[in-house]
Amino acid sequence: MLKVDDLVTSYGLIKALRNVSLEAEKGKLTCILGPNGAGKSTLLFTIAGILKSDRGSIQFLGRQISKMKTSEIVKEGLVLVPENRLVFPHLSVRENLLAGAFSRFSRKDEVEEDVESVYQRFPILKERYLQEAGTLSGGEQQMLAVARALMARPKLLLMDEPSVGLAPKIVNTIFEIIKTLSEEGISIVLVEQNAVKASAIADHIYLLDQGEITFSGSPDEIEDNDIIKRAYLGDITES
Amino acid sequence: MEFLQTCLDGLLFGSAYSLLALSFSLLFGVMKRVNLAFGSSLLLSAVFALWVDSILSVGIIGIFLVMLGSSAIINIYVEKICFYPHRGNYGAIVSMISSFAIWMQLDDLSSFLLPDRTASFPSFLPDSFFIIDLFIRIDQLFLFFIAVLMTGVFFYVLYKTNYGLLLRGVSFDGELARKLGVNSSRISSFAFAFSGVFGAIAAFLILSTESQVTPFFGFWCTLKGLVAMMLGGIGSLPGAIIGGLFLGLIESNVINYLGAEYRDICTYLILLFILVVKPGGIMGSAILRDERAASERI
Ligand SMILES: Nc1ncnc2c1ncn2[C@@H]1O[C@H](COP(=O)(O)OP(=O)(O)OP(=O)(O)O)[C@@H](O)[C@H]1O
Ligand SMILES: [Mg+2]
Repeated sequence: MLKVDDLVTSYGLIKALRNVSLEAEKGKLTCILGPNGAGKSTLLFTIAGILKSDRGSIQFLGRQISKMKTSEIVKEGLVLVPENRLVFPHLSVRENLLAGAFSRFSRKDEVEEDVESVYQRFPILKERYLQEAGTLSGGEQQMLAVARALMARPKLLLMDEPSVGLAPKIVNTIFEIIKTLSEEGISIVLVEQNAVKASAIADHIYLLDQGEITFSGSPDEIEDNDIIKRAYLGDITES
Repeated sequence: MEFLQTCLDGLLFGSAYSLLALSFSLLFGVMKRVNLAFGSSLLLSAVFALWVDSILSVGIIGIFLVMLGSSAIINIYVEKICFYPHRGNYGAIVSMISSFAIWMQLDDLSSFLLPDRTASFPSFLPDSFFIIDLFIRIDQLFLFFIAVLMTGVFFYVLYKTNYGLLLRGVSFDGELARKLGVNSSRISSFAFAFSGVFGAIAAFLILSTESQVTPFFGFWCTLKGLVAMMLGGIGSLPGAIIGGLFLGLIESNVINYLGAEYRDICTYLILLFILVVKPGGIMGSAILRDERAASERI
């Protein structure tokens, strides 16, 4: 579904991605693990067309998207849920959702239907629909960011560290949501540092370190590989 | 009664200041930019419309429409030349300086089209009437009603339309909007064109109550709009309305009780006082607080 080949992205002279190749299959949950500064966000930004690559190809559903604008990529069905600053803080919950549907504003009824179905999935957002999004709790903002991405009717979701900075109980809820979305057939590329939780729901795992893919395999294969297990699963569960 | 009359005059004319201030606030509050060329764009659209009229005799409605169209185009030009290239976080100063250069350019163009320095501007509804001793000029009353109506349209566009939604989104967090794929170039052009059309309606009404246009009109618009915006609260839309009305009140009272020569000095004294007592203007503190919170979060 998504095929990234030999991708290089740099900030000025610094190469943040060095010849990254990976694949995400349809209906599967592909997880990218890596420490801080590994280039995970850079990778997602490049796929989403927010950063331009120096070289390499990105194919989505058979089409070359590496030269497309973000707005066009969103229309193709590839949607990013960013990390950190997730929502428009001064727009209401409902307005945030509508902003996610910007590429098909002309089909008003369809957008309204989608708002309703998002409300059913996340009843808390319905309760808070007039509230300024900046006043939601961290977990609720993360939900809103996911919900806003769903408003674009994604075929593939790119999620950047959805669990970062959240309480353990909320983290469980967020991972439940990701799992449900995946089971419903939405393909997902999930960037995480929470290796234990992520490998519990992932179909395939990549490790990214200093801009390079250092491992690719199923979650079981990580379990079997002692060096990697200690380096990633060990470290991260302790911290 | 004299006081009432003075206040009424001030409020009626102040509504024009409110419109100018709203245009500035749209760009400042929403885009975090000061467009010094704004007044000049209104002047140029007015003299261009008069020039078109002198050739094609388009009449007062024609002048109005030409003003709206040309102001929208001029403001998109200003945006493409000096604002869009500097749309990053640190472009505020660069773009303000280049808008100064554009200001000079537009004013020069206007003086080409205005060789006699002044031109008469068509006025309409010249009559006046009295309500219990209060003298009211119909054109000023009309200006006031249009100002109220336009303020409604302004808020409707900003808060009830999709473009308004995206415009607010881009302004609050341009970075996030870009990540979602919102076409911020189009949104930004839209904001400038919108402020241009909005300002042109204000300029048309002001010029027709004054019945003439001079080369100073551009600078006058920029000055009054900025002062009203600062009085009311930098970047606050309700503040712009209040600031404009308040400026009108100050001016008419000073002119009436102290004399016209004291108008500007008193205005600036009051502005200074308000900025010292309440930094950011009457309604501005909320905006400053948000700014501070946003910068502390990083
Ligand atoms: N705007 C930028 N300019 C210069 N260098 C940058 C920029 N953004 C990121 N980098 C560098 O690129 C590298 C990869 O950053 P990136 O944000 O992709 O890491 P990450 O894996 O997402 O980290 P984290 O887990 O902290 O989010 C880092 O070394 C970082 O310092
Ligand atoms: Mg990151």
